[in-house]
Amino acid sequence: MEDGSKIYFDNGSTSWPKAPNVAEAMAGLLANGAFNINRGNYEGAYEVEGLVLDTRDQLAKLFHAEDSRSVIFTPGITYSLNYFIKGFLQSGDHVLISGMEHNGVMRPLKQMEAYGVTYDIVKTEEDGSLKPEFVEKGIRSNTRAVVMLHASNVCGTVIPIREIGEICKRRRLFFAVDTAQSAGTIPVDMKEYGIDFLAFTGHKGLLGPQGIGGFLISKELDECMKPFIAGGTGSQSDSYDMPETLPDKYESGTLNLPGIIGLHAALVYMEETGLETIHRKKMELTRYFLEQVSDFPNIRIVGKKGLEDRVAVVSLDFLKMDNAMAAFELERQYGVMTRVGLHCAPLAHQTLRTWPRGTVRFAFGAKNTKEEIDRCVEGIRSVLSV
Amino acid sequence: MPEIQHYVLFPNHDNAMRLHRELKKIGVRATIAPTPRAASTCCGVSLLIQEEDVGKVETCVKEQRIDILKIAEIEKDVNPRRDRYC
Repeated sequence: MEDGSKIYFDNGSTSWPKAPNVAEAMAGLLANGAFNINRGNYEGAYEVEGLVLDTRDQLAKLFHAEDSRSVIFTPGITYSLNYFIKGFLQSGDHVLISGMEHNGVMRPLKQMEAYGVTYDIVKTEEDGSLKPEFVEKGIRSNTRAVVMLHASNVCGTVIPIREIGEICKRRRLFFAVDTAQSAGTIPVDMKEYGIDFLAFTGHKGLLGPQGIGGFLISKELDECMKPFIAGGTGSQSDSYDMPETLPDKYESGTLNLPGIIGLHAALVYMEETGLETIHRKKMELTRYFLEQVSDFPNIRIVGKKGLEDRVAVVSLDFLKMDNAMAAFELERQYGVMTRVGLHCAPLAHQTLRTWPRGTVRFAFGAKNTKEEIDRCVEGIRSVLSV
Repeated sequence: MPEIQHYVLFPNHDNAMRLHRELKKIGVRATIAPTPRAASTCCGVSLLIQEEDVGKVETCVKEQRIDILKIAEIEKDVNPRRDRYC
């Protein structure tokens, strides 16, 4: 833009701006006493420990977990998914995944193929949707788990996890859900949806800082899963074996305390504002955007065309030009920040028929405005020369 | 007579912090302290409680489903002249 202002539509990569007080909370910790929990035996460390405990409680409440001790912190959702895929699956095991999975699932699964783990991709439609009956049809005698994302990071399509959870429960399979694009946006109820492993990231819909994520684990799964990472926990230090107690079993090494404190501040904001309010605002912007671009020639809205079963992530395929060049022009001339390419999800792009050219992704946040969308649409019109 | 102190021992910090928080809610005083080496070699923290509160603490542990190892009675061992012979 001539005035140099920018429009941030890359909330699918990470949300920005972060929730109020996130930066202050993190800076406050670092400035006033970033004491190490589970190690330091003094008042300052116990105070930080109290905040970490509060954050576990917030997350347990948000995701409807029975016990906040089942909330495990990791550096991010990729780590969380690795914990499950490498800590639970064994040689001879089979898993089912959707056709929309991110490389956060695909790459560790491919690694596990070398150890005798197999997987099948459940039939997924060209708009990213999936019919639960195909999950049931894909179950084999050695199927141990279903691993699926809740909402696509490419086109925002939501997978029917409630129905899939029911199937998993009935067929006695563990159900692992990647909530990277849904946590903090749409409700995720671990108990009601029968989720055994809920992987989350703190820096997207939850409006926290990068470098903090985690997972919530059911008691039944915990009994079968090994800690993928081992090391010091500050507990049972007289033993060379990993503790069985949660959360220590999966939390070796020093935690990202500034990240957790930042996430705590973000969750306070989310509780005060309400998930529904945030979601409604994002979906209003999505509707406004979709209405305006749906009639443009030489452009394809990838995935769902309307608001049903989707989150505020929209992918466009510029049919008569290179998508990267379209994104470049949008950024250079109109200050619109997007993400272009395959979004670390080549499988999803194959399903959506946008492999290998990829798409330009617009992911809206609750702080975006209709005026920003107007400017972006003007930019798209200009790029398309219409 | 040596002073006897009561320590609640835990498998990890998390449970200690949970019990400390719950006891605070019901007005039972508990002090977070390093676990005496004589009680356990686990390096964790424990809660130092008053003898008269042991019953209340046990009830709270049960009601709140806190994991503890035990409530240990430990002789207070803070003697500046220990191992000094002259």
